[in-house]
Amino acid sequence: MKRLKLSDILITIVIALVFGIIYKLWGPVYAILKPFGLHVGDVIYGMWFIAGTVAILLLRKPGVALLAETAAASGEFLVGSEYGLSVLLYGIVQGLGTELMFALFGYKRYTAFVAALGGIAAAVGSLVMDAAYGYVMDLALWNLLLLIGARLLGGFLIAGILAYFLVEALEKTGVTTLIRPASDEDYKALDQ
Amino acid sequence: MQWTLQYEETWLHRLNPAFKLVFFLSLFLTLLFVHNPNVMSNLTFVPFILVLFATGHRRIVIALLLIPFLLLFFSSASSMMFFGQGSTTWWRWGIVHITEESFFRGLHIGFRALNFALLGLLFALTTRPVFLFYSLIQQLKVPPRFAYSFMAAVRILPVMVEEFQQLRAALLIRGVKKKKGLRRVTQSIMLYAVPLLSQSIRRAHRIAVAMEAKQFNNKERTYYYKQTFSKVDIYFVLYIIAGFCLSYWIGYTFPYFEITDVRN
Amino acid sequence: MKVGVSNLRVKYAGAKTLLFNNLSLQVEEGEKVLFLGPSGCGKSTLLQILSGLIPNAVPVPMKADQVKTPESSGVVFQDPDSQFCMPYVDEEMAFVLENRAIPQPEMKKLICLYLHKVGLSFSDPHVEISSLSQGMKQRLAIASMLALEPDVIFLDEPTALLDPEGTTEVWNTIKQINEKQTMIIVEHKIDEVIHFVDRIVLFDSKGKMIADADPKSVFSFYKPKLKEYGIWYPGVWDEHRKENNLPAPYVKGQQLMVINQLQGYRGKTPKIEVSDAIAHEGEWIVVTGKNGAGKSSFLLSLMNVMKTTGTKSVRGQLKTIKASREQLAFVFQNPEFQFITNSVYDELAYSLEMMDDRNVAEKVKNWLEAYDLHHVQNLHPYQLSTGQKRRLSVGTSLFGDQPVLLLDEPTFGQDASNTFKLLDLFEQLRSKGMLIIMVTHDEMVVQNYATREWVIHEGKLIEDRKLERREEEERYAVDSTI
Repeated sequence: MKRLKLSDILITIVIALVFGIIYKLWGPVYAILKPFGLHVGDVIYGMWFIAGTVAILLLRKPGVALLAETAAASGEFLVGSEYGLSVLLYGIVQGLGTELMFALFGYKRYTAFVAALGGIAAAVGSLVMDAAYGYVMDLALWNLLLLIGARLLGGFLIAGILAYFLVEALEKTGVTTLIRPASDEDYKALDQ
Repeated sequence: MQWTLQYEETWLHRLNPAFKLVFFLSLFLTLLFVHNPNVMSNLTFVPFILVLFATGHRRIVIALLLIPFLLLFFSSASSMMFFGQGSTTWWRWGIVHITEESFFRGLHIGFRALNFALLGLLFALTTRPVFLFYSLIQQLKVPPRFAYSFMAAVRILPVMVEEFQQLRAALLIRGVKKKKGLRRVTQSIMLYAVPLLSQSIRRAHRIAVAMEAKQFNNKERTYYYKQTFSKVDIYFVLYIIAGFCLSYWIGYTFPYFEITDVRN
Repeated sequence: MKVGVSNLRVKYAGAKTLLFNNLSLQVEEGEKVLFLGPSGCGKSTLLQILSGLIPNAVPVPMKADQVKTPESSGVVFQDPDSQFCMPYVDEEMAFVLENRAIPQPEMKKLICLYLHKVGLSFSDPHVEISSLSQGMKQRLAIASMLALEPDVIFLDEPTALLDPEGTTEVWNTIKQINEKQTMIIVEHKIDEVIHFVDRIVLFDSKGKMIADADPKSVFSFYKPKLKEYGIWYPGVWDEHRKENNLPAPYVKGQQLMVINQLQGYRGKTPKIEVSDAIAHEGEWIVVTGKNGAGKSSFLLSLMNVMKTTGTKSVRGQLKTIKASREQLAFVFQNPEFQFITNSVYDELAYSLEMMDDRNVAEKVKNWLEAYDLHHVQNLHPYQLSTGQKRRLSVGTSLFGDQPVLLLDEPTFGQDASNTFKLLDLFEQLRSKGMLIIMVTHDEMVVQNYATREWVIHEGKLIEDRKLERREEEERYAVDSTI
């Protein structure tokens, strides 16, 4: 296993804190959409999983998604999130969801497909937390299904596809050469 | 978070930060097992009193911070009120179906969300991140690499806020052709996220290298701040226990609502 | 030998060629060595290899027969805003002492001791780092480096991002460090260092060592190289003016910009106030003043990006961002924030399309030539060198034939050859009648190019004075201190 270096950890946390602030700002947006009921607003819930996918797509190392999502949640919490401490636990579970998907592919594939699965897995994590948090099961069935559908779609679209394109745009700037290990060819070139 | 807010230090600032975190987390879990809306509404006052009177921050700051909380209360409560299951129908209009059960369950959820929010705010307003991370290392054995990375990252947040403002001005001046509909959302995300993230990544990398140049590694280290426990930790626990007892006693002796368990 | 390498080769990821083909270098105890060379020649890489940071902290593919690094290295980097991990001065110093496992009770005393060594004496060192000036931050970086009690000190362009005042401040601090201290320095601005080092190693753009001698010989034999590599050596300003016969004479032109009772606000706080000012075609106005005085706010107010009251006009009132954009070309301090596409070509084309121009392809081609950017036209703007980024940002803002050019410290952090390229371009535009308004800290720009100076102090324009450009005879009196 590739161990996380100090720079990996620091970069992950810095990215995560940027998203942590977005997470905090996202709270009121979601709160305004929510009362219009129907849970259609839950599509934007996917924004709250994006840190994990973005970070692991950038750094491509085990543990990064979990660390990023946890750090983003801590950041959101520390700037005074209206969801209080619950965001910490949600963050851990959501991060675990994303992390598991990348682990399933042996940390070898960093494609849009896996990213999308990672986003959906995070959404599942958030639903599990909702169930534990209580009373979701007491919603009318059609309403519950709508919630699940919207949440998963949000995870897929925002934390999966959007995250993938964001990282692709970052790759074009050349900043990723700083954080990804040099290839074997680069090492071989030294011997010629 | 308190890097710029002016405040006076109170006894809550002197709580051991790691203990505070663990204790708050356990409070959070405990609240999940309270199903009586009378008790829940009373319990909301326990952190609320501290937020109002004991954080050492100015009233106006607290008032501003509390605004989103109202919104949160209504939005948390509403879905359950309108669409929850229940047998005693109060009102039905199209798909909206308010029952007695779902109404009180919604109210209960609203109060609980408010409770979590207040506890979170209380923590954020009375904890200096640097002390929290020192305490996490010393009391909870969090590896220093992670804790110091957090502190370094927190330090550059204000720089990023400044960069965000510069970027906004630059984009305004340059002029951007706005795309339509959903593509406009992704367009603005890319326009802001790409420069800010790539700057932050490069800055984080430089800081990490500078930290290693200062011989930050896994060797034995000493600590500038020693985080310890004190009497205030006990006072705080006593306050919470008293708050719980009082909430239960009032909740059962003088109930406001007829329902005592919001589960079906 | 204190530090050294033999037969060093380095390969950066994605680079086509090796950096340093079998480079060997030794530095002896007590020597003070300066590495010089063009940007991107690998001098900073070499410094990091000798200090042990590469490959331990930064994994870069490299090979060498032997690398000798010191027992303990102390490194100071160039960016004052990315060297610290803690928010307060005392905490940052303590971080180093913690790393050395110094017992906690001794820390307070040691913190004051090291801070005193760099002339930072606070009655209580619990001061926010963000409240310090850039020069003070770099002195703090030196203090925390000294707290490592290093064998060898490495300075990686410690003044590259400082204004002239801060640069002097930092070098005075470094000069007070122990005389016998071994030091390896990378620096582009060498006025202050030149009398301090014993030895200069000069590299070419591929990292090949082309000279290794005492400062005097390097200066007498390699001066054309220093010039080509954009190094700020003593007398470089005068040489440049002499060779290019600059600047062109200033003839007062038509009245162009009128400002009346202008106030700019951030939120509800007024940040800048200009009661009245008039500027003409062909003027080069430098806006000077301390950091935070309101210079940038002044430019932003002209652009209507800040909330303003009062009036400003250039060929008509400027009331909206759009109106301002059509008359004033604005070049930001950080060029990266102005880029919105994925290639150099697209950046320039985008500006033209914004102006509804039809001959996009042809105009872009001319610009790429004029700004020496045609060979990098397909690169992402972020992958350009600092000089190229700056030229591109000037290009993207100047596209609409605006009569006024606003510049926020455009030469900051640029090497000599890039600075002169930029200044010559501005001078050319000015001589054709463009009004140039430039925020700068550089006294040499003020002396050599400006025709007028606006001094801003605590949010107010307090002084408006005409400047005489330096006279002919003075121009040829080349400073020959070396």
